[in-house]
Amino acid sequence: MRNTASHVRLAAALTAAASVAVLAGCSSSSGHSGSSVAAASCAPAKGKVTLQYWNTVPGMDQVVALWNKQNPDIQVRTKNISNDQYGTLGNALKAGSAPDLAQVGYDELPNLRTQNAFVDASQCSAATAARSKFVPWTWSQASFGNTGVFAFPQDTGPMALFVRSDIFAKYHLPVPKTWDEYASDAQKLHTADKNLSMTFFDPNNAEWFNGLLWQNSAKMYGYSDDKWQVTVDSVQSRQVADYWQKLIDAKEVRTDLANGSTQMYAAYQKDQIASYVGAAWGYSMFRDNLPSQAGKWSIVPMPTWSTSAASGDWGGSTVAFMKGSKHLYESVKFNTWLNTDPQALALENKLGGLYPAATAGLQLPALSQGVPYYNNEKIFDVFAQSSKDIDTSFAWGPTQKTVNLSLQDAMAKAAAGNGALTGALSTAQATALKSMKDLAIPAEAGK
Amino acid sequence: MTDTETRAERVVAAPDVPRPRRRRPGGGPRAGTIAAFVTPFFLPFVLFYLVPVGYALWQSFRVVRRTGGQYGTSYTTFGGFHQYGQVLQNSEFWSSIGRIGLFGVVQVPVMLFVALIMALLLDTPLLKAKAFFRISAFMPYAVPGVIAAIMWSYLYSPQLSPVVDLLGHLGLHPDFLGPSAVLWSTANVSTWLWTGYNMLIMFSALQAIPQELYEAAKLDGASNWAIAWRIKVPIIAPSIVLTTVFSIIGTLQLYAEPAVLRQISSNISSTFTPNMLAYAVASGNNYQQAAAISVVIALITFVLSFGFMRLTSKRAGL
Repeated sequence: MRNTASHVRLAAALTAAASVAVLAGCSSSSGHSGSSVAAASCAPAKGKVTLQYWNTVPGMDQVVALWNKQNPDIQVRTKNISNDQYGTLGNALKAGSAPDLAQVGYDELPNLRTQNAFVDASQCSAATAARSKFVPWTWSQASFGNTGVFAFPQDTGPMALFVRSDIFAKYHLPVPKTWDEYASDAQKLHTADKNLSMTFFDPNNAEWFNGLLWQNSAKMYGYSDDKWQVTVDSVQSRQVADYWQKLIDAKEVRTDLANGSTQMYAAYQKDQIASYVGAAWGYSMFRDNLPSQAGKWSIVPMPTWSTSAASGDWGGSTVAFMKGSKHLYESVKFNTWLNTDPQALALENKLGGLYPAATAGLQLPALSQGVPYYNNEKIFDVFAQSSKDIDTSFAWGPTQKTVNLSLQDAMAKAAAGNGALTGALSTAQATALKSMKDLAIPAEAGK
Repeated sequence: MTDTETRAERVVAAPDVPRPRRRRPGGGPRAGTIAAFVTPFFLPFVLFYLVPVGYALWQSFRVVRRTGGQYGTSYTTFGGFHQYGQVLQNSEFWSSIGRIGLFGVVQVPVMLFVALIMALLLDTPLLKAKAFFRISAFMPYAVPGVIAAIMWSYLYSPQLSPVVDLLGHLGLHPDFLGPSAVLWSTANVSTWLWTGYNMLIMFSALQAIPQELYEAAKLDGASNWAIAWRIKVPIIAPSIVLTTVFSIIGTLQLYAEPAVLRQISSNISSTFTPNMLAYAVASGNNYQQAAAISVVIALITFVLSFGFMRLTSKRAGL
């Protein structure tokens, strides 16, 4: 009411005073709009329904076209928001114009939930029944430890070690099973030729580093005593940081390359680097950017800290049920198809390079064959095993993006010789506590 | 002012001046006409300038509160100067200001000096092919900042750059993206982008100087050198002040160049410049504090630009 009145006044008077009145009107209403959590109903709509699905996956429009052809009554519109995924979503939420479904990375789920971004789809029996269809850790994160159904997992990035077999053979390096063996290989290689490095450490890639922490069961967040327990800086995370610090100090790994950059491919192209600690979706990076190295690459399990198998995840995302959706029943139906139907999964894998989070997806024909670029090795068997070895209890924090930026800035300083990676962990820990305090999220340093 | 007023009074006072017939009492149509002409400017000005500024100000006095549970429900409430206190205590904020201060103290004088020399050269009768030089000096300004930064990032990058390669053959191994060099590599991109623009402002001021002044100076026996430094530079001083103010503002708002170079150099942190810090804080959902940072940047910009204008106008008597 007040809003409209002010707009009229604004048009008439054209004064700054009126515009301030508008501000007060708009903003105070939006400030409280997030406070009521609507009880989601799962009744099917009568007649034709149109859903909005915002995503970041190349070729997703073609996948959705297939659904639209088969389901004339539930039409889905896609919008690619990869330009500024979370900025677009955050603004849409504030404006009350969020889509029915949206692509959200696992590590951004808690952050968006603190903004009341999601609707709990557990009213729909089809949503709760989907649990058995996904790799356990993905469901655990999308359901916030089985406290509701806020998203369906879409793809994952189980990690593995990409190895230049020819360089390893030339310098008689054994394929490493543990991180200790990997470090000793790195030393041998660098001693043999100063221009060669085992891999590179990208200080500006907290997502990658978090995957390594995850593998070492370094739990960054917990919740007890009505407070978030922040353990970004822990014994396990320090072990990982110390390990990489030693490799950096000995100059056995490079720190001047950004993951996926032209510079990184150039370094691999010039045979300067012998391995890559990567994720499932990375298989196509090398195939597409370094075609001349076909047959030289091999993919093996990520080295482990002990003799027992353990892996981490780097990337991947979910399709979340967004608050404000009026068609929950239809959203669940489409989301189930999108992320569990073999035909949809095959198409997403082919067009978008997605490595599915659905267990059925791991048996896709395309994922059970040998891959020519990798000497016809069945590389996806390695990733499937990696996926099974991922700790299901790992959880992300509600200010993960801020913590990641802080960790990156501090890791970059350490890589430039100013401080150590363990110091970066304590900086990130402090940032986590501070950023949560700023947003009034109760938190304390965990034990 | 006074002159026009008295003249207007005289006109009104004169009894035999015919009044416009169709004028309604109260001057209605005239106000309407003014509104019709002014609205196309003021409406966007209010909507896209005053409202966002007011919104940022309003946000900067809010704090987030939350009710209930692990995720809770957030709302904002009046928090006085809390966010400003946070900004002033933020060491990242002061480092970014310090960094940008160092950048400005070096880059702005260098760029404006080069621009001035180029403008003076273009203005001498000695130079041939003036149109070519003028266009080519101005050309970088036509390149968007982001594109310029991407271009330069290829020239800086050790893996790809022909420049680094060539220097390597000469036994030099500069690290353009290293911790101490990266600020100056960024400054170089800004200089490349903006020198031509500043040159053009100074050059157009030079073009406006009447030729008679030069003739008079020549008759008095002034050399070309003396004409440049004693006549041209003092006359275009207002343009130099203007370009300096633009450059101070541009420096404080530096964003595109470092944000692009950050893609290939981890030595540019997420809080490298004040604007990058504001963006990082906003992307972490802390809009209130990001608003306070923006307001503080605006205040610093305001103080520096007007301070510089006052200082120079007193000195040069402009």
